[in-house]
Amino acid sequence: MRPQRTNTPYGQRRSRREREGQLSRKKRTCRFTEAGTIYIDYKDEKLLQKFISEQGKIIPRRITGTSARFQRQLMTALKRARHLALIPYVSDSIR
Amino acid sequence: MQSVKRMYETTFIVNASLDDAQIEAAIGRVQDVITKNGGTIHAINRWGRKRLAYAINKKTTGYYVNLEFEAPGSIVALLERSYLLDELILRYLTIRLSKNALKAKAQAIVAPQVQDEPIVEPREPLFEGGEPEEGEPK
Repeated sequence: MRPQRTNTPYGQRRSRREREGQLSRKKRTCRFTEAGTIYIDYKDEKLLQKFISEQGKIIPRRITGTSARFQRQLMTALKRARHLALIPYVSDSIR
Repeated sequence: MQSVKRMYETTFIVNASLDDAQIEAAIGRVQDVITKNGGTIHAINRWGRKRLAYAINKKTTGYYVNLEFEAPGSIVALLERSYLLDELILRYLTIRLSKNALKAKAQAIVAPQVQDEPIVEPREPLFEGGEPEEGEPK
């Protein structure tokens, strides 16, 4: 009962990572860099909504493609907006 | 060193279930704290009644007010203390406007169109290739 190499979780993970690597060849760009943003405002609810998941979680930059610099700014903006109840901390779809 | 003035911005939420006169009174009190302690108010933005993203003190709506002012740093402590004492105020946030924030603001006033335009186009390709957890291959 030796696990076959291709079926081990490690084997799977590696192949998935490779596949993701292929997917991400479609270039993701940082929208803030492109737009020449200099400051991300916590008051811009509409914009911030795009960077949180349905549950209200902050979407990692690995997915959104935001540059590190703007992700940092985005984090403070999101947290400020959360404090002011502009965006939720958690929002469950199941009520 | 004492009289260095900086730009601040404060946003607070007033209990929206009160009538307008009471809300105005609360806003007036905040303005008083700033002006009486050596600050000058540059702008008042009333966002009005808004739905809160989550309940604060069992309330689901709030009256948002945003103030921009220039004042010595000592004012922030006084202001926040007055917020705490005021029962009509549900939530507040005071921040110092960073250099970039001021720059962005100046730019927005000078050329509002330039700021609008580039934001629109990269909307589609923002997220591609779904959640990383999904689709465990078998």
